[in-house]
Amino acid sequence: MSHTGPVPSNDGSPSYLWLTILPLTLFVLLLWGFSQYPLPWSFELGWVDSLGVSLAFRVDGLAAQMLVLIIGIGTLVFVYADGYLAHEPGKGWLFAVLLSFMLAMIGAVTADNLILLFMFWELTSLTSFLLVGFKHQDLHARAAARQALLVTMGGGLALLGGMLLLGQMAGTWSVTAIIAAVPTLIPDPRLPYALMLVLIGAFTKSAQFPFHFWLPNAMSAPTPVSAYLHSATMVKLGIYLLARLDAGFNHVVIWEAALIGIGTLTALWAAILTLRERDLKRILAYSTVAALGTLTLLIGLPSPRAGLAVAAFLFAHALYKAPLFMVAGNIDHATGTRSIDHLMGLRRSMPWTAAAAVLASLSMAGLPLSFGFVAKGAISAAKAEAELLAAVSYTTVLVNAVAVAVAGVAAIRVFWGPPETPRGRVHEVPWRMLLPPLLIVLLGIEFEFLPNFADPLLFQAARAISPGLGAVELGNFFDFSPVVSLTAITATIGLLVFLSWDRLHRMLHSWHWLDRFGPAVLYERLLHGLPRLAAWQTQGLQHGRLGGYLRLILAALLLMEGWIWWHSGASPVLDWRWPPHAWAWVIACLLMGAGAVAAIFLRQRLAVLMASGLVGYGSAVLFLFAGAPDLAFTQFVVETVLVVVAASVLPLYLHDAVVSVKPRVTDIGLAVAAGVGTFLLLSHLNTLPADTTLSDWFLRHSLPEAHGRNVVNVIIVDFRSLDTLGEIAVLAFSLLAALPLLAGLKRRTTP
Amino acid sequence: MPHSSLLAKAARPMYWLMLTAAVWILLRGHNEPGGGFIGGLLAVAASSMLAIIVGVRTARRYQPLPPMSLATAGVGLALLSGIVGMATGHPYLSPMWGPIGLSTVLIFDLGVFCTVWGTLSGYIYALLGDEEANS
Repeated sequence: MSHTGPVPSNDGSPSYLWLTILPLTLFVLLLWGFSQYPLPWSFELGWVDSLGVSLAFRVDGLAAQMLVLIIGIGTLVFVYADGYLAHEPGKGWLFAVLLSFMLAMIGAVTADNLILLFMFWELTSLTSFLLVGFKHQDLHARAAARQALLVTMGGGLALLGGMLLLGQMAGTWSVTAIIAAVPTLIPDPRLPYALMLVLIGAFTKSAQFPFHFWLPNAMSAPTPVSAYLHSATMVKLGIYLLARLDAGFNHVVIWEAALIGIGTLTALWAAILTLRERDLKRILAYSTVAALGTLTLLIGLPSPRAGLAVAAFLFAHALYKAPLFMVAGNIDHATGTRSIDHLMGLRRSMPWTAAAAVLASLSMAGLPLSFGFVAKGAISAAKAEAELLAAVSYTTVLVNAVAVAVAGVAAIRVFWGPPETPRGRVHEVPWRMLLPPLLIVLLGIEFEFLPNFADPLLFQAARAISPGLGAVELGNFFDFSPVVSLTAITATIGLLVFLSWDRLHRMLHSWHWLDRFGPAVLYERLLHGLPRLAAWQTQGLQHGRLGGYLRLILAALLLMEGWIWWHSGASPVLDWRWPPHAWAWVIACLLMGAGAVAAIFLRQRLAVLMASGLVGYGSAVLFLFAGAPDLAFTQFVVETVLVVVAASVLPLYLHDAVVSVKPRVTDIGLAVAAGVGTFLLLSHLNTLPADTTLSDWFLRHSLPEAHGRNVVNVIIVDFRSLDTLGEIAVLAFSLLAALPLLAGLKRRTTP
Repeated sequence: MPHSSLLAKAARPMYWLMLTAAVWILLRGHNEPGGGFIGGLLAVAASSMLAIIVGVRTARRYQPLPPMSLATAGVGLALLSGIVGMATGHPYLSPMWGPIGLSTVLIFDLGVFCTVWGTLSGYIYALLGDEEANS
């Protein structure tokens, strides 16, 4: 089914169908592996041993199920994308990122080390950002990509915090070991915080309330991306993590409560918002959010059968939602619109797409003969076992009814009825866009009739989520009669919702308060508030006036000194002893004092420069006699170069030779206060005992170990040479950064 | 800028004198006050003197490499000096000693010297209005 090499299509953009061979090979290998080697498979390679981080991978039932979805649907998405983007010049880029995304997903669901898992997790966010922003010339696509990135990466930060806490509490980074160690973690007071942080991370990724808003907006991605990332795989990664950890935390109350509460709220909220949309793709996106909410709720259920429900619904949802997205893409491709107001009677012109839509919708509505029916059965069995609040049960019925209505919109409303007034001729799309959705839905049907293939996979996954699950079979797992009656109830309500879709839509659309409040609006406010905050603090702190900076620094210094005095409760002590060479100290101080006073009163720029140079020379003299000849030497050279260069350079940039700023009384007061405060602090510090361990060590070891009597230089080039390396690198980089700035300065001052 | 011809004549010999002093300071640094940093600063003093008196173009020509390349070479030397130790199984940047006081430490110090010389002279040339500051 693949060519060997880029085949130019009609407009010259090459076909990448041959690339499908990569995921296809992986898929075949995976299935072969399942038939040959029993799960779990594990594999470990050392990486950063000192931190306990290793390249540990483990494939158990849950990971295997995710792998089948990621690689299997990925293969077909590659085929679909090649058809969908046949005329897109940037197709190669898309395929490259899709492939990276697939590898990141494979890594994330197989990683058995928290740090490794986090790394892959962030990689999926990053590749998702690139894919959502694929049409980067489009303003909306850019905004949506940024939103997806900020929300999922922000959650990723919380996740990292939670993982670090979990790892520290358990003393290991291995996911398996942490889950096994959960009973010992329960009494730890840090556990609630760790769980909250992990939950925030998983909720942002899986678009749970209040972070759900990024997912519908991410629909500005090309349809293959929506079908793959935003229905079948990436958004399930949060669900995967929750399911993975649920094996351990299933009986922790806040974990359960958060999952059931947020899951229910998300499902209900998304079901309501679904009815407000007219765009087919956005309708599907909101129903995906509702499905993710249902999955979260199911994970939170305490019964062991919940594991089976999660596994079945995870599978069923991917198998019907990805084809439905592809159907929406086909319609968009053929008619140029996705608005359900303009789409009717497409059945005749697009029969194959219609077939895929009907079969996928059967499963979505949970009607008999579909895999969705099996999933529904597993879900109601799990719910029957757990004692649920009535509100949760009613909510799920309502959410399911809306799902039925969405299925009706996607399969019936769009394809049946009289054909719309012709808007050009609508053709069926090419085979590359038909085969993938049809193949996926047929697989779904096949699983229903030939359970031998799907069942082992589902049970292995279910047991990974709920270790308490016994040996059961999917077929006789539940009593059919309540499910059939339940299906009949949901289907009836769903039918009513479907028939009154337009009326409900008008009603919900008139609820304008939904647009003014809610998390999406809060996100916009924050996003727009950030530059304003930055502008405000920049104006306050980075105003470019040297005097202002000095004032700020001196005031902060004074505050800190005051705080130290007040905090330590010590009173200033003056321990006055004359040092050796006291005469030289006096001369040095006189030099510095004279320089400082002269700098205040002189008005000529060059004279001020010389006076400040005098302060530098004075301090060099001080260093010379205080036992720091290296420092004195450096100070002399620096001061000389500075004064000479500044004297040559200043006239080039400043055209008036006289300083126009007059000293102000408040500034003088501030300067004097800061000076006196620092003097008092230093003289007090001098009376405290100093820790000389390090300097003694350097003095003792300099000559015997580094063959040098100049301890300062030995420290610079030998003992702490890595520090020096960093410093000189920074020095060189600073020139690189400064050269363009200096060139700009030159241009501005010489017209 | 008007200069005295005496100063213009003396600038080049003075430059070599100062540069010799800078290298001497660099070499003696391990036992006496000195080292790559101070030596480099002295070399900067020499280069800036030449740049102010004779011109940036001349000062640039009297350096072994253009400023940015000199700084980069300095960082590179320091980086490379650390590898020598690794070749014999020691950790990165372990000092290695050869005959007549030659050592990787000296190469490292030479790297510091070149970085300081290149970077600061680059700044000064740019400030003095060098046309080819970016080379």
